Amino acid sequence: MVQRSKSFTSFPKLVVWIILIVFIFFVLLPTFYLISYVFLRWEEVQVEVFANPIIGDENWRQILKVLFFSFRLSLLTVAFDLLFGVPLAYVLARKRFPGKSLLEDFATLPLVIPTSGFGFATLITWTTVAGIGGFLGLRSGLVTLNATVPLINVPFVLFIVHITLTLPYVVRTLETKFQSIDTTFETASRTLGASSLTTFRNILFPLAIPGVFSGAVLAFARSLGETGATLIVSGVSSTASIAIVRWTSEFKLATASFMGSLLVVIAWVIILPLELYLGRRGSSFKISYQLPTSLSNKLMKLEKFVSRSLPRIKDFAPLTIIALTVVVPIVVVLNSVVLYWSVDPYTGKVQGGVVYQLFGPSNYFSSLLQATLTSIIVALTATYIAMCIAIPLAFIIERRRYGDFIRTLLKVPLIIPTSSLGLSVLLLWGSSGFNLVGSGIWLIILTHIVFSVPVIVESIIAAYEGSDIQMYEDSARTLGATAYNAIEKVSLPLIKGGILTGFILSFTRSLGETGATFIVMGRDITVPALVVNMVEALAIPAALFTSTYLIILSLGLLAIIRILTRR
Amino acid sequence: MPLLEFSREGDAATSLIRLVNVTKKFGDINALDHINLSIDDGEYLCILGQTGAGKTTLLRIIAGLLEPDEGEIYIDGKVVNGIPPEKRNAVYMFQQFALFPHMDVWRNVSFGPVIQDWDEDRIKNVTFEILEMVRLAERRDAFPNELSGGMQQRVALARGIASGARILLLDEPLGALDARLRVDLRTQLRKLVKDQGLTAVHVTHDQEESLMIADRVVVLRNGRIEQIGTPHEVYSKPQSIFVTSFVGGASFIEGTVAKVDDSGSIIEIRGGLRTCVSDRSKKNGEKVVIAIRLEDVSVGTTSKDGANNFPGVVETAMFIGGSIEYEVRLENDVLASSRILLSDAFRAYKAGERVVISFHPENCYLFSYPKVGLLKEIEAI
Repeated sequence: MVQRSKSFTSFPKLVVWIILIVFIFFVLLPTFYLISYVFLRWEEVQVEVFANPIIGDENWRQILKVLFFSFRLSLLTVAFDLLFGVPLAYVLARKRFPGKSLLEDFATLPLVIPTSGFGFATLITWTTVAGIGGFLGLRSGLVTLNATVPLINVPFVLFIVHITLTLPYVVRTLETKFQSIDTTFETASRTLGASSLTTFRNILFPLAIPGVFSGAVLAFARSLGETGATLIVSGVSSTASIAIVRWTSEFKLATASFMGSLLVVIAWVIILPLELYLGRRGSSFKISYQLPTSLSNKLMKLEKFVSRSLPRIKDFAPLTIIALTVVVPIVVVLNSVVLYWSVDPYTGKVQGGVVYQLFGPSNYFSSLLQATLTSIIVALTATYIAMCIAIPLAFIIERRRYGDFIRTLLKVPLIIPTSSLGLSVLLLWGSSGFNLVGSGIWLIILTHIVFSVPVIVESIIAAYEGSDIQMYEDSARTLGATAYNAIEKVSLPLIKGGILTGFILSFTRSLGETGATFIVMGRDITVPALVVNMVEALAIPAALFTSTYLIILSLGLLAIIRILTRR
Repeated sequence: MPLLEFSREGDAATSLIRLVNVTKKFGDINALDHINLSIDDGEYLCILGQTGAGKTTLLRIIAGLLEPDEGEIYIDGKVVNGIPPEKRNAVYMFQQFALFPHMDVWRNVSFGPVIQDWDEDRIKNVTFEILEMVRLAERRDAFPNELSGGMQQRVALARGIASGARILLLDEPLGALDARLRVDLRTQLRKLVKDQGLTAVHVTHDQEESLMIADRVVVLRNGRIEQIGTPHEVYSKPQSIFVTSFVGGASFIEGTVAKVDDSGSIIEIRGGLRTCVSDRSKKNGEKVVIAIRLEDVSVGTTSKDGANNFPGVVETAMFIGGSIEYEVRLENDVLASSRILLSDAFRAYKAGERVVISFHPENCYLFSYPKVGLLKEIEAI
């Protein structure tokens, strides 16, 4: 157990105060500013949203409409995530098979892949002849962009993208939860005569329910806030987060910020009870459910039959989903770049080829180079500054009584919709707030710092709690090391892995972020935002190339993470 | 006052570590309750207690890893409250050894000297010398996870000694090792500490370990000192039921003082039986507990002169290596235990056999009946 030494010796008060103030200004304030903005300018908001002299409360009705649509989409997404995610997490946590680590990589790929690039890959996979449609010999895409899923009535492509992007949250959370549960419970149940499915239903699943909840909440929040890919695949429908982007670009700031703060509050309301109930250290959370005996007996017979005769189904269904949603789009996009390299293979026009669009009159290549430079500068600067805040902050979280509270606050930037975050930062630093920074690269950096800090802090904390840092540090102190020496010579080297992982995760995330960047970037376009612009300008081959470029970049970074964490 | 000051001065001259009224609370729990303790220079002191007795808290407070809520800690006659651990000259050794996993043996052992910025030759010499001493010089390039438990323990000791500390604070130093090694290393540990002229405070819950290794034993219970003394004193003159039971163990028999005279006291126990004990300290009519060490109770078929003799039936007979332990149900339903060395055993008795147990009045300890009840007083042991 980590003893929280209210350690009078290790941190000078001044340093702690400086870190906390920086944390409040660069992370907390941008997260919550939107809400206070709405309060401060309530009259303006009221006039624009509820009592517009020309259109009345049309804006309010718009808000309600997109909110309901977003909720429906997100809830359905979570339902499907659980359907596929639970078996997948079980397989990953409990089974050993060749290619498992590859599957794990693919399952978590959507976390690191730039969403706009990935959204585009999914788009062409399902709706164009270059994707599955062409593969099946059709002359068009398999579905159209605005085709809806029968019964549940949500756009098909949008739904697929949301499931793909949120599934990793369910899988990762549950996998960790399953792994933390001792296998002896299952062994005991099996030796007492229960089939493997019965064991799962009666033993493992009830024990893992906290994991199911937290995974589902994370997935829900992610789906609600997804902007990058949604901008590309939404078609005629509009979700809450892209409505914010649209309204901001139409300068309907009051409506946008009202909607944004609604989303922040919703995210906050969802995460807070979860943190209080499930996140408490050492708290045990038990849910038990009882079925009527006759039903339970029938169920057990069925499970016995299924366990014995169809053992592969539960292993293969999730595999197929991963293949279809993650692997196929990537393959399609790579394949398409090759196909469209010099000419459009279907019309034979040079203007439809990648080369022409990149180096031709529109000269997307130079925009791409410029965007790459912007992206890298943003990612490096934001990650560097975030590291400077996150490392001491992680130590404070581990060592102070109020650490848990800070850690809970840090969850918020991770789950609030990125477009809300972008708007919040824009209003805080821009002309309606401190009036210090205008749209452009500095504002992008300030935005990215907000979500980079929690990402880095979480991976440092994981490393910190994985080894008994406090003990090593205490040991060093009694051997004659000062507090500063002990941190420098002992603690930091021990959590080096966590710091590196945090750096790369934050860098990757910054590189791929679209929603918030889109709002604050002004004229300094980043690569993911460029993809959105290209799609909107219908420069499809250029978008293909840029998406491929982004995907390969993030795959490379993912490979580096794997190598680092394997050690 | 001057007299008191004088006696304190006198104390400080011989004692290296002194705790005065040290108190520490965690929430509502009194981890340490007004502890007063002096530890002499060069002494090997064991702190013996159960889990949660406050042993580790006491050790961490001496090391400076925790601050007490009340009371002062003196090291070398100076108050060290508020002085950070690195300036206290006391090295803390964790049960898990806490060898830095990212450093090899050499860098672990030389950590103290390097961090205190000694000059390079001295660092080399000291580190090498100490590694030789613990016979690990040839493993200097190994990393902690490549060493056995016993080796890790030696590296941890070497690291502590190399740091130049005069005080070793050992938190269950043998606890992470397997049973056999634990016993072997006791004597080595003591010898090392004595050879180096160090002062050791060794925390353990193993009473046998503490009796074997220490110059003095402190029995700690619920944050209070129950008894301080040499191992012999603690074993043969236990001051409470708890100490008797925790250190060595005994049979406990409840009774009431029926008569006190020149030769001792007569205690009436259950069923109207009478027992003679030499202790005369309790008053007539007082409720008491008699404690008899297992080895002081003999089992035979006939009564012995000058001893308390009670007939009974053997309930269990356990063979444990060099001796046999009996549990005998007396006629008044009291259960008495006995341990007899195999070499002294006249013959072995089986369960169900009728026997007579005997013990001498001078081997009985007499305690007032505890307020919480006898079972409660000893149950957790």
